[in-house]
Amino acid sequence: MSPKLMIWISVTLSAVAQIFLKQGLSRLQQNRNGGGIGSLILGVVRQAYVWLWGICFVLATALWLLGLQKLELSYAYPLVAFGYVLVNILSALFFHESVNRNRWIAVAVIGLGVMLIAGS
Amino acid sequence: MERRSPLAMLRHWWVPFSASSVFVVSGHLLIKSGLSAAALGGVSGPAWVRVFNSVLQPQVAGGLIVYLLGSLCWMAAVAQQEISFLYPLSSINYVLVVFASSAFFHESPSVRRLSGVALIVLGMVLMNRKSRGSQQ
Repeated sequence: MSPKLMIWISVTLSAVAQIFLKQGLSRLQQNRNGGGIGSLILGVVRQAYVWLWGICFVLATALWLLGLQKLELSYAYPLVAFGYVLVNILSALFFHESVNRNRWIAVAVIGLGVMLIAGS
Repeated sequence: MERRSPLAMLRHWWVPFSASSVFVVSGHLLIKSGLSAAALGGVSGPAWVRVFNSVLQPQVAGGLIVYLLGSLCWMAAVAQQEISFLYPLSSINYVLVVFASSAFFHESPSVRRLSGVALIVLGMVLMNRKSRGSQQ
């Protein structure tokens, strides 16, 4: 796998991880019926989405370290901003959050910036 | 004047915010310098072995801890200020990382790369300003 592909997969996995975490925590809020910190921790540990978040997070970090070894930091780091583009798209798709037109314009500007860096 | 713990400083949002920027940027500089050192050492083998080796590298491990501290400071800042206010400000991290990379690692970012970073900053400002006005 090329270092660049590793960075792209890492950034994508981080965005997907955010979605899993959000899903896990909102499930948790729905199922919670009082209880102390102990039941809260137990609830978090029992939530499959929280585990998925953890797996994505670990994989993303590993791929990031592997990719960054071979790439310039000023190239790889700004690509993290692609996460904002993905999170907006994924939230609109899966949580049906309404993303207004101005927000999509902003997302497009960030996407354009990321594309410029990707080809630099 | 009553005596206050140094932690009371965290109650001004800009203190944890600035700390998070400094930690996130310097954490990444440490990680990168450690990874480059490991690459020069000619570490090879399967991917998971290379990841394991790099995490054990003191600079990489230190960088990850500093980065984690940065994330904690970010959470402290988010606890006090709206995220739509903090996000555009946090895009300064991209600018700082690019300048620090050219200062410390002799990377010479092209005009194209610098324009990309400028567009990211602009996009983050737009994203949070516009959504704020129209949502409320």
